[in-house]
Amino acid sequence: MIHSLFLINCSGDIFLEKHWKSVVSQSVCDYFFEAQEKAADVENVPPVISTPHHYLISIYRDKLFFVSVIQTEVPPLFVIEFLHRVADTFQDYFGECSEAAIKDNVVIVYELLEEMLDNGFPLATESNILKELIKPPTILRSVVNSITGSSNVGDTLPTGQLSNIPWRRAGVKYTNNEAYFDVVEEIDAIIDKSGSTVFAEIQGVIDACIKLSGMPDLSLSFMNPRLLDDVSFHPCIRFKRWESERILSFIPPDGNFRLISYRVSSQNLVAIPVYVKHSISFKENSSCGRFDITIGPKQNMGKTIEGITVTVHMPKVVLNMNLTTTQGSYTFDPVTKVLTWDVGKITPQKLPSLKGLVNLQSGAPKPEENPSLNIQFKIQQLAISGLKVNRLDMYGEKYKPFKGVKYVTKAGKFQVRT
Amino acid sequence: MPYLGSEDVVKELKKALCNPHIQADRLRYRNVIQRVIRYMTQGLDMSGVFMEMVKASATVDIVQKKLVYLYMCTYAPLKPDLALLAINTLCKDCSDPNPMVRGLALRSMCSLRMPGVQEYIQQPILNGLRDKASYVRRVAVLGCAKMHNLHGDSEVDGALVNELYSLLRDQDPIVVVNCLRSLEEILKLEGGVVINKPIAHHLLNRMSKLDQWGQAEVLNFLLRYQPRSEEELFDILNLLDSFLKSSSPGVVMGATKLFLILAKKFPHVQTDVLVRVKGPLLAACSSESRELCFVALCHVRQILHSLPGHFSSHYKKFFCSYSEPHYIKLQKVEVLCELVNDENVQQVLEELRGYCTDVSADFAQSAIFAIGGIARTYTDQCVQILTELLGLRQEHITTVVVQTFRDLVWLCPQCTEAVCQALPGCEENIQDSEGKQALIWLLGVHGERIPNAPYVLEDFVENVKSETFPAVKMELLTALLRLFLSRPAECQDMLGRLLYYCIEEEKDMAVRDRGLFYYRLLLVGIDEVKRILCSPKSDPTLGLLEDPAERPVNSWASDFNTLVPVYGKAHWATISKCQGAERCGPELPKTSSFAASGPLIPEDNKEREQELPDSGALMLVPNRQLTADYFEKTWLSLKVAHQQVLPWRGEFHPDTLQMALQVVNIQTIAMSRAGTRPWKAYLSAQDDTGCLFLTELLLEPENSEMQISVKQNEARTETLNSFISVLETVIGTIEEIKS
Repeated sequence: MIHSLFLINCSGDIFLEKHWKSVVSQSVCDYFFEAQEKAADVENVPPVISTPHHYLISIYRDKLFFVSVIQTEVPPLFVIEFLHRVADTFQDYFGECSEAAIKDNVVIVYELLEEMLDNGFPLATESNILKELIKPPTILRSVVNSITGSSNVGDTLPTGQLSNIPWRRAGVKYTNNEAYFDVVEEIDAIIDKSGSTVFAEIQGVIDACIKLSGMPDLSLSFMNPRLLDDVSFHPCIRFKRWESERILSFIPPDGNFRLISYRVSSQNLVAIPVYVKHSISFKENSSCGRFDITIGPKQNMGKTIEGITVTVHMPKVVLNMNLTTTQGSYTFDPVTKVLTWDVGKITPQKLPSLKGLVNLQSGAPKPEENPSLNIQFKIQQLAISGLKVNRLDMYGEKYKPFKGVKYVTKAGKFQVRT
Repeated sequence: MPYLGSEDVVKELKKALCNPHIQADRLRYRNVIQRVIRYMTQGLDMSGVFMEMVKASATVDIVQKKLVYLYMCTYAPLKPDLALLAINTLCKDCSDPNPMVRGLALRSMCSLRMPGVQEYIQQPILNGLRDKASYVRRVAVLGCAKMHNLHGDSEVDGALVNELYSLLRDQDPIVVVNCLRSLEEILKLEGGVVINKPIAHHLLNRMSKLDQWGQAEVLNFLLRYQPRSEEELFDILNLLDSFLKSSSPGVVMGATKLFLILAKKFPHVQTDVLVRVKGPLLAACSSESRELCFVALCHVRQILHSLPGHFSSHYKKFFCSYSEPHYIKLQKVEVLCELVNDENVQQVLEELRGYCTDVSADFAQSAIFAIGGIARTYTDQCVQILTELLGLRQEHITTVVVQTFRDLVWLCPQCTEAVCQALPGCEENIQDSEGKQALIWLLGVHGERIPNAPYVLEDFVENVKSETFPAVKMELLTALLRLFLSRPAECQDMLGRLLYYCIEEEKDMAVRDRGLFYYRLLLVGIDEVKRILCSPKSDPTLGLLEDPAERPVNSWASDFNTLVPVYGKAHWATISKCQGAERCGPELPKTSSFAASGPLIPEDNKEREQELPDSGALMLVPNRQLTADYFEKTWLSLKVAHQQVLPWRGEFHPDTLQMALQVVNIQTIAMSRAGTRPWKAYLSAQDDTGCLFLTELLLEPENSEMQISVKQNEARTETLNSFISVLETVIGTIEEIKS
């Protein structure tokens, strides 16, 4: 299925390759480089490239390309999902998925790839199972290893693979039994010039961290389950029970996992927690322009909005920007033309603003279009859709677990057109 | 790519690996080995230390073992003789008490990829298939496929295949999936693994136990299963229902495809399924992973081909955000174009208009083309937007807008007036060939409605010497001549100048010839020119042809969730053809004996014969079998229309001739047995007009010639001649084969 994998960095070096069947020469990547050259920007390299004898399916993650070579007809989503899983695993093991981290841990990377795929087919990809096969590197462990000479490879087979329930290992034991749920919602929105919503949608997930002994059987109910438009489930959830009673009933995997992901779409009204007042203008036939934006809270349900950052890709003709801000700090990179304003928290008494002059290349025509603003923010203890967990019950075990639910709302692709 | 200095490195590492002090210290030993691996992954040729690495494999340290095995798998094809030394250790490890070691050794052994290794791995694999640890069984099952590949795909080991089929009942889900994968590879030439009713039901029951990769693949394998009854079919669909809600998009798509294929006789079920996956698909379209997004969008387009209104209420999902990569934006614009309806057209056009001024010229141009596409249905609004765009006076925008206009007036003549009003002035902002051609064409065809058309064209004529594109000059010639017909007074002078230039000074032959042609045409007289050049100025019916008709779901269901929606079918066809050719290449000696006794008519000749009837404007109707009686009656009642003698030498096989004639739709009514002399045959054929050809073949070996007599029920020499030439070719070909 997946013949070979090449890891390529932004400057076009192939710094790692792995072949699961016969060796495919590096020259196959030339087609990829060709496409990269044509795309001008690294972001724009198409994910599927055809060559005379192969298909190259690639993903772009953290400034790295994972390029897989395919020789038979495959479901493309399957390969893309798998490549993302590989990247996730690296992230999980090394804390970051970067060229340096991969090069430092090249031996572990090979071990991982060997276990994740055999003969081109995915085998073990669950993080907790992999971690029992190959222990992740830690500073402490590498010190211990170097003293005792022990290895970071488990000597025993992962027990999870022998359990009746594939996602949970048998014989789990904890002294403190805890179950935590994080309800994380991201708002994707496009706001037009006048401040009205062109498009808005909430993408939500419930991530769980379950540390419970034995074989607990949990059921989680919501105050308002009808809110959820379109839900996809972790395989552990009993689907029939959800369909009939709108209750999530499941035997959880051990450790961290994503319980459900859901969507609350434009049919229901999506609250937009911030507004932006903006005036950006470039004068005809002069080499300067004005820039003025102010951010304020709106529909924030009484919670504080924090962690605000505004990113603006200014037009190419902008040379420099002279701005003053009432709050936070800003940077402008004259090479990439990206303006970043780190705002922080909004205090309703004094709204943060950023204004000043824009210097343009002299003689160049004035930009046709104003730039869009990309906004990041975070609201703690609030699920903007209004979703609330009602209760969590546990069956099958006798002890009393500690339970907790945390809510957080973030901006996803939140964009304001000016 | 060994770069300079790699020899020194190899030498140093070799020394270190041989050093008994280092060998005694486990940690240092392992570090040296790690260095070897690191260099190997950087592309240095490390095969020089193969011997030392083989020695290092005899250890209890599992990490060291892993590293050495990794090394061996990489270099074994280069050093097959030395690799054989390692096999002993590997075999020993295959019976280690630790299942991890057993699995590791078995996997490495199967991946050695060197000739001659098969005989050593067969026994360990068979043992592995019966191992009590599922980890080892998983490896062993895939090992079967690797072993089969090493054998060169030639023979299929029946016992092994049976063993694998029985392992489909294994209690470990990954072993089950691996069995399917392995069987699929081993039985590739026989069409892959067979999914019968018991296997299908077994797999269906195990589905929920599999991981997402397994589920996706099993769903794919289940496509081969054909349920016996309607009841069974709906049971299967019910069982798989929850997979449409899986958290993995791959599984969702796999399940959707299975639903579409299984329910191919129930269109309402198909529609229902597509409605249900709308949610997951839309979620994938706005997924964090841009690659997932892209593939999902491609599938959305595919669905829209059959259900045009399917995503219309979600059109806002397909609005582009500026930070998205181009390939996603382009797909989204295409999707927007396809889901426009009366309710959302205003918003969609508004949005597309915003894209037209995008920083990226490519994206801006595709947005303009998209508006042009929508203009076929909502002409007025779109033409207005396009006209406004001309006002921006941007080169890359103007050229595309003009091209869109050209295509539009051809399909929607009602907008001609508006387009003509918009055109003046845009010639200043067009520099590229495509744009100029479009503008000149418009000025030529609709020049009588554009007041300054002759003056714009005059500018082009003035600068024709510095014009770099021959296509523009050709277009200019035609346009000016057309305009001359409607506005002769203003154009006569410059037409003369242009023709003079083209005939006397132009170096491009095509342009020159076109100039000469028009010159001579003008000499014939103006009426003749009008008759030739003034064709219709629009053709709205073409729009119906261009509009993709709603295609039934079944026409693309089998392509769903493959690369086809992403890259089109044609490309896979060429890839698999290339691979086919490669595979056949080295095997030619084996197949040559088969080829000689194989097809009776060589491939190329067959083509020739099939072409011939067409070229002679003669269409013989297939399967026009006459009864012998009717043939006899007609034969006796007609006169011989044509008689001819062909040379014939050597042996004669009537069957060959009969088959060859069949190919060109000439039926044999009766013939003598082979070897009879003189040999006779009666043939009949009929063309599409109903004209009958009756033929008698008479072969006299003594004279080495064949006499052909043809009778025809309607006397038409033309068709007769072509029929005879067909007959000649067939007989000629047969003779060529023999000699």
